[in-house]
Amino acid sequence: LDGKMHWRKAIGYSLMGLLTVGSEHLFSLSAFKCPCSNKNYTYGLVYLFVPALVLLFVGFALNGSTWQLFTGCCVNPRKLFPKGKSCHFFHAFGQITLKAFVAPVMWLSVVLLNGTFYECAMSGSKNLKYLEMLCHNKSNKCLEELPKVACGQTSLSSWETEEILLTLQAESQVVGWCVIVTAAFLSLLITCYGHCQSNTSHLQKRFWKIYTEKEKEQFEKYFEDYATKLSERNLKSFFENKKLEPFPMPSLRAWEEASALDSFNINQQIFSTLHKLVEDSMKENDSNETQDTMVNLVP
Amino acid sequence: MEKFRTVLDFCLSHQKVLGYSAVSLLTAGSERLFSAVAFQCPCNSWNMLYGSVFLLVPALILFLLGYLLNVRAWRLFTACCAPGRCCCYIHRRRFWRYVSVLWLVTVSAAVAPLTWIAVALLGANLYECAVSGSSLLQRHLCQGRGTQCHEQVARIPCGGTLPKEAQTFVSLQTQSQVLGCILIASIMALVLAVTCINRCRSPVSFLQLRFWKIYLEKEREVFERKAKEHATKLAERNLKCFFESTEPEPFQTPSNKDWQQISSLYAFNTKGQYYSMIHKYISANRGTSIKSTEEDVFSPALGFVDGTDCNETGTL
Repeated sequence: LDGKMHWRKAIGYSLMGLLTVGSEHLFSLSAFKCPCSNKNYTYGLVYLFVPALVLLFVGFALNGSTWQLFTGCCVNPRKLFPKGKSCHFFHAFGQITLKAFVAPVMWLSVVLLNGTFYECAMSGSKNLKYLEMLCHNKSNKCLEELPKVACGQTSLSSWETEEILLTLQAESQVVGWCVIVTAAFLSLLITCYGHCQSNTSHLQKRFWKIYTEKEKEQFEKYFEDYATKLSERNLKSFFENKKLEPFPMPSLRAWEEASALDSFNINQQIFSTLHKLVEDSMKENDSNETQDTMVNLVP
Repeated sequence: MEKFRTVLDFCLSHQKVLGYSAVSLLTAGSERLFSAVAFQCPCNSWNMLYGSVFLLVPALILFLLGYLLNVRAWRLFTACCAPGRCCCYIHRRRFWRYVSVLWLVTVSAAVAPLTWIAVALLGANLYECAVSGSSLLQRHLCQGRGTQCHEQVARIPCGGTLPKEAQTFVSLQTQSQVLGCILIASIMALVLAVTCINRCRSPVSFLQLRFWKIYLEKEREVFERKAKEHATKLAERNLKCFFESTEPEPFQTPSNKDWQQISSLYAFNTKGQYYSMIHKYISANRGTSIKSTEEDVFSPALGFVDGTDCNETGTL
């Protein structure tokens, strides 16, 4: 499974879908009880949209790129809109938003295909035309008994109740399918646009993704390695009361530059911000300038 | 262990067929699940819309997903309209090449939706629901009778009975299953005919084609491995320079042009028998453009060449 990134993605999304279905069932069974009064509409809509909003926020929080974008932005707001690259922020934020929308759309599709929340919400709708359409060809007390239909506590005949419930469920499922097909269509359009506009060829993009993954792994390895060495050196000096040995580490400015988001150009065979930093320092070395700003000795 | 190896070899040699069969089985299973769990015919004026939505919309979604997950499509579309490249002038031969690759992509993407529709028709409840709400059937069965007859027809999927005068009507379930069988039979016949024609028009022989498929699989594996090694070396060199402030050594990596040349669509030429674009590019003078010439043959039988490269999807 090592090289099969798209299978990992597919399995990831399927697990997310299963988790969504599971949570939806859990919510329905344990927490959801339609009030069967004039509060139906609000209650149903809250159950439809609030979990979707929560999932959106969680999607933002769990995406590493969000924190890469916003870390240190209060201290240095100029970082978000660097000179000449103002739209970079919107491009990066746009990508993060699109990824974060996957879970809420899944939630909405699952609850709409299930129908329970929608039935509760629409049976308490304030739209008179809609209510009259539901109560078409039914007894006179249909309009006032409609909010109680979701609980099965109406004085309407069983076939009328059943027909109203089936109609509401059918509406809900049709809306659910529409949501899914719209999401799939938009997804295809955006991906197509992204691919067509990109300057990079297919295989180079593939290599770039592999490089990004490897760089991340190496970063973790170097972090652990350096953190161990630095802490050993510090604690050795503390316990044995010895003189501190000098320990070279990147400067604050070097860390800032390495943390910048997407400031490289694949078409110049540069695959990450760190790679650009290294290549730039190589050019500066070639023109015989000293690299004082790159490295500090840790005190 | 030996038996396992035999099974694995069998799977690898029939990868494509097994892949499509797995997709079909998954689709058929999902359709049965949806029909059993989620589908409930409302048995009123909503029948037609509800039944058609359940029958056709999932097929459309599967079709769109088929495009999204198809490698060949993204190979075709990546960088086609990049800034600086004029999309307006496309050479006639290239245009037909694009159309034929797009056709292959469409055919692959159509497997899942057609399976959904065929299984749904064989299951019969979706079709029955949709057609019992159609005004055409209602008018045909209820000639001269009132709207109550129309409502009776709409309630057929919920166990309702037909009006007495309309007994000469073929059951909707039977109609649905017959349509499903006809759909499956025609798809199979079409697939067989097209495969036959493609193979007949193949510019290379049977054994060479077999060797070609195995070569591409191996090239893909070696590409992944070499790309990872190269990426690891580059990452180590960059991180070493960042942490230790040592002078970075120059690092040889393929240029932008190299990548573009090997990513372009494959074209077979009888003069030089190259098994992939990488093979073609490094065999010609590296750095020269391997443009398609008049002698290049774009055969549908060689469509597998563009599809077996790195299985990376185009998704977000």
